[in-house]
Amino acid sequence: MSDTVDRSGPAPTGQGFGRILVAVYGLFALAATARSGVQIATKLSEAPLAYLLSAFAGIVYIVATVSLARGDVSSRRLATMAISVELVGVLVVGGASRLFPDSFPHATVWTGFGSGYGFVPLVLPFVGLWWLRHTR
Amino acid sequence: MTGSYATAITVIALMLAVWTLVLVAMNRSPGLSLLAAASVLEALLVGFLIGGIVQMVGSDHHFARAEFVGYLLACLAIPPMAVAWAREERSRSGTLVIAFAFLLTPVMVLRVQQVWTGPLV
Repeated sequence: MSDTVDRSGPAPTGQGFGRILVAVYGLFALAATARSGVQIATKLSEAPLAYLLSAFAGIVYIVATVSLARGDVSSRRLATMAISVELVGVLVVGGASRLFPDSFPHATVWTGFGSGYGFVPLVLPFVGLWWLRHTR
Repeated sequence: MTGSYATAITVIALMLAVWTLVLVAMNRSPGLSLLAAASVLEALLVGFLIGGIVQMVGSDHHFARAEFVGYLLACLAIPPMAVAWAREERSRSGTLVIAFAFLLTPVMVLRVQQVWTGPLV
């Protein structure tokens, strides 16, 4: 990073700590998309809700990854939206999978608040939103 | 899945992870020697993919085949993607991204093995 601070626009979201954050988002984009791709291709009829939810999560992670990596004004807005959707998604799906476990026989990234992924999916949106505020 | 080959990959990936974490601690950028060692790991992962597919084709054993190939491909894709992303910004964070990728490799290898032995979920 240079010493001169560019005040003409917001600080880039893909640099410094953001480099790590984008890598983690990218990993979840890959994990959720690949998982849902396999599930939808091989056994969609078994649990359409779970698998379509996985696909949706995958798209949200892809949008968050790309927009955080770009970091310009419109990308920041898009990133904030995607990460907010992610936060709502993990809370709603996490809560619903605890309350109605029978409706979620097949796991998604957000099932059980992301317990299958070390609860990273639960922590990630909070970190993402904090980072967007921090770099503003 | 062949145990010793997977173990070799795991050990090399963990050694690379320690190496990279030392670079992070010393605030140094990864040099050519690390990249050379990483390409050895990558070559082993190519062998893992090919060997895995050959074993899969030659087996009547019932398991989640698409998932198996997916994890093998992910094993292969993660280190180069991390290196490419990290090299755009030569900083401590960039180097840490590479360390994460090396730490992730054993986890992915483990998942490959679990899918291979596991029942069709």
